[in-house]
Parts: sequence; structure tokens; C-alpha cells
Amino acid sequence: MRDRLLLLSLLGLGLMAAAPFLLQAMLPANQAQFWTANVLGRAAVFGIIAMSLTFLATYGGFISLAQMMIAGVAGYAVAVFVEGAVPRIVGGLGYGLAIPLGVLAATVMGLIVGAVSVRTRDIYLLMITLALSMGVFRFVETNIAWFNGYEGIRNVVGPELFGLGFRDPWLFYYVALGTAVLLLAGVLYLVRSPFGLVLQGIRDNPRRVAALGYNVALHRIAAFGVAGFIAGCGGVLATIYNIGISPGTIGLGATVNVLIMSVIGGLGHPVGAFLGSLIFTIFDTFAANLYDRDRFNTLIGAVFLIIVLVSPDGVIGIGARLRRLLGGSKP
Amino acid sequence: MGRAPLVFEWIRVGKNRVVPAISLAGVSRRFGALQAVRDVTFDVQPGERRAVLGPNGAGKTTLFNTICGDFPPTAGSIRLFGTDITHLKPHERTRLGIGRTYQTSLLFNGLSVLDNLFVAVRGLRPNRFSFLRPSRGDDGMAKARELAERMRLSHLLDAEVVNLSHGQRRQLEVGMAMAGDPRVLMLDEPAAGLSPGDRPELLKLLRELPRTLTLILIEHDMDIALPAADIVTVMKDGEVVVQAPPDRIEDDPVVQAIYLGGGH
Ligand SMILES: Nc1ncnc2c1ncn2[C@@H]1O[C@H](COP(=O)(O)OP(=O)(O)OP(=O)(O)O)[C@@H](O)[C@H]1O
Ligand SMILES: [Mg+2]
Repeated sequence: MRDRLLLLSLLGLGLMAAAPFLLQAMLPANQAQFWTANVLGRAAVFGIIAMSLTFLATYGGFISLAQMMIAGVAGYAVAVFVEGAVPRIVGGLGYGLAIPLGVLAATVMGLIVGAVSVRTRDIYLLMITLALSMGVFRFVETNIAWFNGYEGIRNVVGPELFGLGFRDPWLFYYVALGTAVLLLAGVLYLVRSPFGLVLQGIRDNPRRVAALGYNVALHRIAAFGVAGFIAGCGGVLATIYNIGISPGTIGLGATVNVLIMSVIGGLGHPVGAFLGSLIFTIFDTFAANLYDRDRFNTLIGAVFLIIVLVSPDGVIGIGARLRRLLGGSKP
Repeated sequence: MGRAPLVFEWIRVGKNRVVPAISLAGVSRRFGALQAVRDVTFDVQPGERRAVLGPNGAGKTTLFNTICGDFPPTAGSIRLFGTDITHLKPHERTRLGIGRTYQTSLLFNGLSVLDNLFVAVRGLRPNRFSFLRPSRGDDGMAKARELAERMRLSHLLDAEVVNLSHGQRRQLEVGMAMAGDPRVLMLDEPAAGLSPGDRPELLKLLRELPRTLTLILIEHDMDIALPAADIVTVMKDGEVVVQAPPDRIEDDPVVQAIYLGGGH
């Protein structure tokens, strides 16, 4: 069982690593580039943000609607401080400093969200995290001096690596993929650590966790900090992908999209976030060509409904469901 | 907290009087209009085995909850080896040496038996908050295995707790309460739902507990409660109605009225 899972993961990883080559062999150059950066790369980036939600939901039982906002905090921090962004708010920093600063800001914001919501759960947790998101969204949208209001900040092009611009499709894709894989591996490591086990204990039975001598609040806040770090990494990449950031990035629509990705993929395992994000991105990309933009919501809504009806635990649940249906006789 | 008050307490009480393990003074707990525990006052000496009996709804579990802090008392005070713990949080009380089980098992259903015990063992260690996985030779893991052995769960180390039988869940429940080497162990109906065959086994386990440990036991089964106890406290309607050694309990008129006559 464990071996098969490992094999499957390695296969998936190999496929993702080889994807740009395969696409190049199969498609005309400009289409191959589009698929590499704008579908797969983007899916990896938003998968990271969705995984920060899935991490909290799978292992802590917390549904946070603040993760897109937290990603946005990282993006705004980079945009405000990096040299070359337009308009220049503070500037002066190179990407080597601005990016860690962005991730740090997101981690701190994660800790704040965790601390503010530490006594709530279920629907109340959902509402309080949503309220925090919308509060930050409104603040950013109306604040000209620091965030340039609804126009946002442009020209966040990312650093140069190996003599290539960051937005070179292959470079961007491999950086996004590498970050995603590292973060996923980090999550899988963490959940077997004492911190991760206690987090799962809190999910199953917070009262018992306290009775064993643990500070439940501290572990909860730390979990939100970890999720903030993950979302921050995604937020930095998303901001460079979009060459800037504006309030719409962290609006209600974006917030709900991240939730949809997580649920489509499944909240049973962090890898679900990437599957969900890939499916979402494909529909988002091509539905726009088929219908007009407004129909997209109808389409993704229908896809969402079908998946959730067929398999309440998302796409990753479908595999297990099929196996149970087909192999019911197996030991 | 902890050290300094203990020392003062010790000086105040004097060397030649033993400080009680648990000391309850006027402990009460209400839930809205319901007075679940009313003005309970008694001491449990270090090393003592105390059984708490009483009909359903007498307030036995609620008394446990006031001691471990899940539902702190609404009036009165509680001392643990002389330290006032009345206003401490549950995890702080646990760190001062209280371990307990629950009437309906509160386990981590999504984790394995070994992980449940490991989390229980780590709860009282200074490195309890850690992002680093335990190494191969981790002594917390070793202790978790040892506990599993003691609770006869060694063959189920990797089983998810959600798949355990009721009896196995009860065993794990007790193992987790003992994992932190508590000074005071409180068991809430450990025999509830156990098959008759498992009961002597449980009694044996209770009798094997070291005398350095103070035990408070809620138990309906007299065949377990009486042989295990030094003193029995009987509660009814939130109050202590009888306190006596076990050999005087079955003949006590008040106890007989509660258990046979169902009250007047
Ligand atoms: N959390 C709570 N909220 C409201 N009422 C409660 C709560 N816990 C206990 N009670 C009430 O307090 C009273 C005492 O309950 P408790 O569980 O302490 O009794 P018990 O002696 O343990 O009974 P049993 O033998 O059935 O376990 C009951 O009337 C119960 O309904
Ligand atoms: Mg009870």
C-alpha cells in the first residue's frame, strides 16, 4: 500500500517534471509555452495557496477563508518594498530581500489570524476568517498612500535567475513546481512530527489534548502560522505571475475560488489542493474561450457540484471510491 | 507558579503534617440553574485509593471536571499537594501531576494506537512543542510502546483507533492517562462496558499501581470499587452523603437506601 503510494507519487512527480518537454514535442511553440506557464505553472502557484487551506482543514479541522488574503499580504509586501514596482511606495529592496520579507509578512498575518480566531470553530471560524479577509480587502482597496487603492501596484517582474527573466515560461514553471514539491514534502514531514500529531489530536479531540498537558491555543496559532508561510510562498509567486497585485486578487471571488479548488481536489490529503487547482485552472482557461466570461461561474459551479455529489471527499476520494467499488472482493 | 507556592505551603502546614494530594474545600459547580456539585469538602491523602460512588447524575463526573479543570468550580477551592489550582487551565493542572480518563473515551480517532500513546507521553515533556520528527531511538516512542505492552495493546500499535473494540478503547484510555506519570490518577468508570471476563484483569491492573500514585476512581461496579479502595465517598444530588471504609459501605443504611430503595 505504502509502496504503491510512493510509486504513484514518483510517477506523478516525473510527469510534472517532464511536462514542458512533452508539451513542446506535442504542440506548436507558443501553445506549449502557454500550457507550461499559464496552465501548469499557474495551477502549481494556486495549488500552493489552496494547500495552505487544505493543510489546516485536513490536519486541524479548521476551514480558513483567510488564506487568499494572507497570500495577498505577501504579494503586497513584495510590491511595496521591491525596487522597480510602479508606483514606488517604499522600494529600495532587491528581490532577494523583498521575497523573504513577503513570506515573513504572510507568516505573521497567519499567526494573527490564528490568534484572533483561536476560540472559534466550524461556521464561526469560517465567518471570522472571511470577515478578516474582507476587512483587509477593503482597507487595501481604499488606501492610496500604501497600496495605491483599487489600481494596485504594477511591474513586479521578479528576479533574474540563470540569466533568464523570472517570467520565462520554463523557469517560472520549474520554480513554481519546485516550490510546490518542497512545501508538500514539508507538510508531509511536519504532520508526523509531535506538532503535527498534536494538531491531528486537536482535530479529533481538543479537550483531550489539553488534558494531556498541551497548550491547544499555542498549537492552533502555530498551525495558522505554518499555513500563512505556505500561502505566502504562493502569494509571492502569484504576484510575480500577474506582474503586480491589486485588491481584486484578494477579493471575495478569489477567496471563494481557493475554497473551490480545495474542495474539488479533496480535503483528505494535501495533494488534493494541486489536483483541484489544476482542474480549476483548466476550466478557467478554456471556458473563457468557449463562452463569455460570465458563463465561467456557471460552468465551474456545475463541475463543483458534480464532483462533490459524486465524491464528497473530492477528486482524491474518487480513486479510493473506485477501488472500493471494483475491488470489493479483495481482502 | 508551581515551586514557590509549594514551599510556602509546606512551611505553613508544618513538617509533621502530611499535605493532602487533593484537597477540596466547598467545591460547587452549577450549570445554569442546575447545581451539579454542591459544597463538596474532602481530602485525599498521598497514595490513597479513593472510590467515588453514587447513582446516575449524582455529580461524580462533574466533580472530576472541576478537579481537572474542564469545567472549573463555580465556588470553593481545590489544592493539589498544597498548590491552589482552582483557577488554572486544564493543561496547567496536568503539568502539575493530574492524569485522568473519561467516562466515554476521548481518543484521537484518526491516529494510530502508537501515535495516541506517543502524544500522551510527550504532553508532559519540556520538548512537547516540536516541529522535528522523533528519531529512531526516541525515548518517548519507547515509552509509548512500553505503555502499549502494559495495556496489552502491543499487537495493535499501527491500528487506527477508530477501528478498535470498546474494550481496547478503554484500555487505551487508561494508558493515555498514565502516560505522563501523574501523581494523581483519576479514572472515570474504567470498567464501563467491559465484558465480565475483562473486569478481574482491570482490578489486577489497579492493584498493581505503585503506592506513590494517588488514585481516585469512579465506579458503579462494587466488585471493582470496594476491593480497590481505601475509603469510599458516596455522592447523591451533587453532595457527599457518606464517607467510609469499603467494609462499612454495603451495610450503610444511606447507601442501601440509594442503591436498593431508590431514595425516599
Ligand atoms: N456540561 C454540562 N452542562 C450541563 N449540565 C451538565 C453538564 N455536565 C453534567 N451536567 C449535569 O450535571 C448533573 C451531574 O452529572 P454528572 O455527569 O456529573 O453525573 P455522574 O454522577 O457522573 O452520573 P453518571 O453515573 O451517569 O456518569 C447531571 O444532571 C448532568 O445532566
Ligand atoms: Mg459520570
